Amino acid sequence: MNALTMVTTEPGKYIHWGVIQISVANAAIIGVMILVFILALVIPFPTGHGEQPDEQRPGR
Amino acid sequence: MTTRTEERKDQSNWTNRLRGRIEGLVPPGQALPATQPVYVASWIYVFGVLTLAAFVVVIASGCVLSLGGVAWWHVSSVGHYVNSVHLWSVEVFFGFMVVHLWGKFWMAAWRGKRALTWITGVVLFLASIGTSFTGFLSQSNFSAQWIGAEGKDGINAIGAGAFFNVLNPGQMLLWHVVLLPLAVALITVWHIILVRRHGVVPPLDADLEG
Repeated sequence: MNALTMVTTEPGKYIHWGVIQISVANAAIIGVMILVFILALVIPFPTGHGEQPDEQRPGR
Repeated sequence: MTTRTEERKDQSNWTNRLRGRIEGLVPPGQALPATQPVYVASWIYVFGVLTLAAFVVVIASGCVLSLGGVAWWHVSSVGHYVNSVHLWSVEVFFGFMVVHLWGKFWMAAWRGKRALTWITGVVLFLASIGTSFTGFLSQSNFSAQWIGAEGKDGINAIGAGAFFNVLNPGQMLLWHVVLLPLAVALITVWHIILVRRHGVVPPLDADLEG
């Protein structure tokens, strides 16, 4: 691949919403990041090695 | 005649004072703790170290790019691959950093004398953006020229154009590969020391700190 073939010949696709103008690619990346953030909050974290959290251990 | 122990405590000796400062940076055993409080068992606490891991890949791929030079990726498939690793590790670095920022913002991570940890994180974010922008100016292509031509007016408007010339690719390259990565690395070390010193911030409803 030479340098010229890397130059895009088509304009990017943009979302226009009032004063807000954002490329579809950037909007998609922001959407994925928000999804990752939500998943990080709701997906249970593996505690591993059969350990129980401190508060569930007997005698505590 | 002084004993070895007395010599190690002699505060007139700058080596002893420096050792004391280094040893006192974090509480004993907290430099690399093997366990964490139970509330850390959540994916949202993972994004700080993911950012750090991405930063290691950014630095490593940048070092390999330095071997070939700025034009290497235009003429070599290996150079193009390494350049792509560098670009995408930066994208991942910022993605993880922003999710880390969101998580810490919503848990008010500046609580419990952690204000400086928060502030160093903000400065790191800004320094990382500057490092990234100088990277775009170092692509040695028309995109870099266009970004430089567009950016110069903004830089001149804030009065920095006299010593920070975005139309000077040599200067921008050196800022990108020496000054800004050094700043980001040093502030990262400071940020991590502060995290280890004060511990990971508990959730808002944990009420551990009174």
